[in-house]
Amino acid sequence: MTLYTDEVDATTPDDPTPPEDGSATATDAGPPRARTAAAVVAGFTALAVGVTAFGGGLLDPPASTTDGDYAGETVEMMIPLAEGGGTDTWARFVAAELTGAVPGQPGLAPVNDDGGEGIVGTNHFMTSARPDGTEWLVSTASTVVPYLLEMDAVRYDFTELRPILANGTGAVVYARTAAGVDGVADLVDRDRPLVFGGIAATSLDLTTLLAFDLLGADVESTFGFEGRGPVNLALQRGEVDIDYQTTSSYGPAVQPLVDDGTAVPLFSLGQVDEDGEIVRDPNFPKVPTVVEVYEELNGELPPADALETYTAILALTYTFQKALWVPEDTPDEALELVRDEAEQLSVDPSFEESAAEVLGGYPLDAAPDLPERIGAAYQVDAEVREDVLELLERDYDITID
Amino acid sequence: MTDAAFSALASLADPSLLIMLAIGVVAGLVIGLIPGLGGTGAVAILLPVTFGMEPEAALAMLIGALAVVHTSDTVAAVLLGAPGSASASVTMLDGYSMARKGQAKRALSLAFLSSMAGGLIGALGLTIAIPLARPMVLSFGSPELFMLTILGVSLAAVLSRGNVVKGLTAGLLGLLLGLVGTSPTTAEERFSFGSLFLSDGMSLVAVALGVFGLAEIASRVGQRRITEKPVELSGGWGAGIREWLTHWSQVIRGALIGIWAGVLPGVGATAGTWLAYGQAVATAKDKRKFGKGDPRGIVGPESANNSVEAGDLIPTFLFGIPGGVPSAMLLGMLLTYGIQPGPAIVTEHLDLMYLIVWAFAIASVAGAFFCFLLTGQLARLTKVPFAVLGPGLLVIMLLGAFQEGGQLGDLWIMVALGVVGFFLKATGMPRAPMLIGFVLAIPMERYYYLTANLYDGFGWMTRPGVMIFAAVLIVPILWSLLKKLRRTAGQVDDGHRDEHDEPDTSAGDELEGSFAGTRWSLGVAVTAVVVFAGALWLSSSFSDEAQLMPRLVAIGGLVMAGLLVAQELRSRPRRPRGADPVPMDDALSGSSGSSTMVATRSRTEPAVEPATRRRDLVIAARTFGAMAVFLVLVGLVGYVAATLVFVPVFLMYAAWTRPRTAIVYTLVLAAMLLALPSLLPVDLPMGVLQ
Repeated sequence: MTLYTDEVDATTPDDPTPPEDGSATATDAGPPRARTAAAVVAGFTALAVGVTAFGGGLLDPPASTTDGDYAGETVEMMIPLAEGGGTDTWARFVAAELTGAVPGQPGLAPVNDDGGEGIVGTNHFMTSARPDGTEWLVSTASTVVPYLLEMDAVRYDFTELRPILANGTGAVVYARTAAGVDGVADLVDRDRPLVFGGIAATSLDLTTLLAFDLLGADVESTFGFEGRGPVNLALQRGEVDIDYQTTSSYGPAVQPLVDDGTAVPLFSLGQVDEDGEIVRDPNFPKVPTVVEVYEELNGELPPADALETYTAILALTYTFQKALWVPEDTPDEALELVRDEAEQLSVDPSFEESAAEVLGGYPLDAAPDLPERIGAAYQVDAEVREDVLELLERDYDITID
Repeated sequence: MTDAAFSALASLADPSLLIMLAIGVVAGLVIGLIPGLGGTGAVAILLPVTFGMEPEAALAMLIGALAVVHTSDTVAAVLLGAPGSASASVTMLDGYSMARKGQAKRALSLAFLSSMAGGLIGALGLTIAIPLARPMVLSFGSPELFMLTILGVSLAAVLSRGNVVKGLTAGLLGLLLGLVGTSPTTAEERFSFGSLFLSDGMSLVAVALGVFGLAEIASRVGQRRITEKPVELSGGWGAGIREWLTHWSQVIRGALIGIWAGVLPGVGATAGTWLAYGQAVATAKDKRKFGKGDPRGIVGPESANNSVEAGDLIPTFLFGIPGGVPSAMLLGMLLTYGIQPGPAIVTEHLDLMYLIVWAFAIASVAGAFFCFLLTGQLARLTKVPFAVLGPGLLVIMLLGAFQEGGQLGDLWIMVALGVVGFFLKATGMPRAPMLIGFVLAIPMERYYYLTANLYDGFGWMTRPGVMIFAAVLIVPILWSLLKKLRRTAGQVDDGHRDEHDEPDTSAGDELEGSFAGTRWSLGVAVTAVVVFAGALWLSSSFSDEAQLMPRLVAIGGLVMAGLLVAQELRSRPRRPRGADPVPMDDALSGSSGSSTMVATRSRTEPAVEPATRRRDLVIAARTFGAMAVFLVLVGLVGYVAATLVFVPVFLMYAAWTRPRTAIVYTLVLAAMLLALPSLLPVDLPMGVLQ
């Protein structure tokens, strides 16, 4: 409101006639005298030069984050995705709690830059973030998968960033019983392939597609859905037969369908433990993992190289799915201060309670050895990458330049 | 259920909740005023504030803001012709025409009262629809959603002012524009020319504000004084309410369509407002006034765009599928409180659901009432000459467009689209279908692709929903053809618009259609042919799946644009043109001269003089040039510094304001720019030298 009235006031401050008569007469006199006009413009130009030269420095003094607290600082958090999604919610919540706990209680300014499915914002962070602990980056599957596939547009490298904390999630694959699926045995040797609804093969769907490939499941994929919510609805309508949902949406979206018998859970994607083994998802202790299903169907362990590829991708896209990062040159003191707080936060019972839904039942990981473990996961072998690229090209007709 | 409803109402009597609601309403109204920020901006600014609050208080605040954003975004659309959202562009059709006739107050009163009713009915609908929503959403599969997108674009094309061929050409151009970026089905880039920036597609705000807002500035900035005589409504508010009450059935119909459309995830919100406009036109006996300031064209859509917001909450809460960024953020907020969306929310959190319903109702009434009280003040804005308003408006609109992607490139696209919008406007091409096409292009492709892949053959066409939509689409066309046949057989004219309906010059818009029938409109038609041909050629390099939609659009566009060229060629010799050219110096020599020109042109001379056209072109070219210079300055020295130089120069050399006015104006604007980032979630573009 103030906005427009300001303008009206500004144009008619000394207007002799009230504007009700239908003509604003401020402009009747013709152009202002050339000298006056030039003087005004010159004045403003000088002001503009001043603003450009000194404004930035005055408004933005260098940070002091290595002195044991973040007092008076503002943390700028780059969220390379749109406002509102799961990652955005996660990042805003975790960062708000964390900045509240860090000594000096810095302010928090989340910045959403959702260009190129997260690539633009992450690239931007990589080139322009100040390495003083006041700029954080949020990573998630949509920025990790292009990194994994070494897409052209990717100008970032997670091995040149340092993690503050990480948080995982899991997923369960389920199918529509009306499509003739009662258990994992119905995944293979089918008369008619099961229709899988996906967003894109190069999204988080990738891990599920690898699981289907590992199992040799008879599945035909249709991509182009807007999100996992619409796929779940399409499954209820009978448009698709098989789908997966991540842990946080499994409860509300799938459990009711399982309860009334319209859907059946088949397997979980699993979790990667400290030894690099695939174990059951702690949130779905009764649901077998892909590996167990393979053993059940084939009576033996999956081939080592295929299992290695699957494990690497699973760790990258699920076990360490979301993380907060700072630039490589950030001073140890500044980073340790925040990481240490994050670690304390992760075991704080009141935080655990309030964050239960946002974290989706997986603990916040900010242990001192996080950089090594996350580093190992993000260091993707050339063979693994080859396997994935081959699968994409063979089954989904996608070539990455 | 009633217990929960009343206990929720009782909890809203708690003063602290009411205060939160009021804060939300005020924030929503203020943000809605700035074209381009909209609901996303409102929720983004309030969300951080809500961390740590009780869920009830947080919800009251966010719902308060969401319920009123579409009430106040009408202001810029009606008064300035700058719609910040696709739905506001519908209200603009008749609202802006009405305001240009000096009836801004009447248009705003009707819009605000309808918003209020739409919000109220929406809240009521939200209550009733909760148990019905699940079967309804599940009965709408991909084929139905696909038909709905078709219906949205076609309605916009057929119902906008101007002839149908022009409407369809504009709609197809919009679809093409919407296809720029990553394909939804194969994730390959189309028409992005290798640019990562274009691979995301263009920003809706940049398209809407460019095609409408900047084109408006360019066409009106030559106006240094107000030439329209304001028509005051006698009786003030009372008369406004009385007039509005005569349209009560439109209000209810609009609101019901809004709720229904809002419930459908993905496409509802945009198509819904058009459907409301479409039914208003379809059910009216005398259709001649639509697009030229018909109150029914304001009431229905405005009522719908508020109830759409209520309808949109249904898929958000029940299925966790938000219809837009604002509801996505609301969903995120609920998640942080451990409230999971899903069918169970109705049983587990019934009290919260009712709190939302009540908060929505109260906020709609309070927000619309507040705006309604201010209509008189707001309408005074139309009395400021556009030359004076222009630079401030430009600075604010560009800033609004910058917020969506944070890319300077969006602003360049916006200015380029401003040029396109100017020519479309000047040659009488309706621009609303272009915007709707742009918004619905990706959903249309997505649902067509899913339909074709998930259903065997053409069996989907026999689904009842699809057939109903097809009937809605085809029956009116057959009906009007029938009428036309009857009319040529000597029947009475019932006011049905025919194809060659010339824009009504008494609407007060001098530029609209003033280039129609000249070599300029022929040029626009030929350019459209070239664009579609280019798109067809480029799309041959895409994969089979990704080229389907661009090819269809390009071929359809070629046919329509070809027809348009034929039409132009046929109609040209009939027009007397260039009879006695007025010397151009004369037209540009002084403000008194130009205002006489405007008066002559809009009142007595329906056929526009070539000299006037030339003058319009020169002014537009200079204005767009000035915008380009401003963007270059922004790129170099940043937004505030660029504004400090650009605004006073423009005000004194183009608008001829007094130095004192220019100084105060610039300082106020600059102070506002400096203050905005700390008040609203607004980023200022930075320059390379900064």
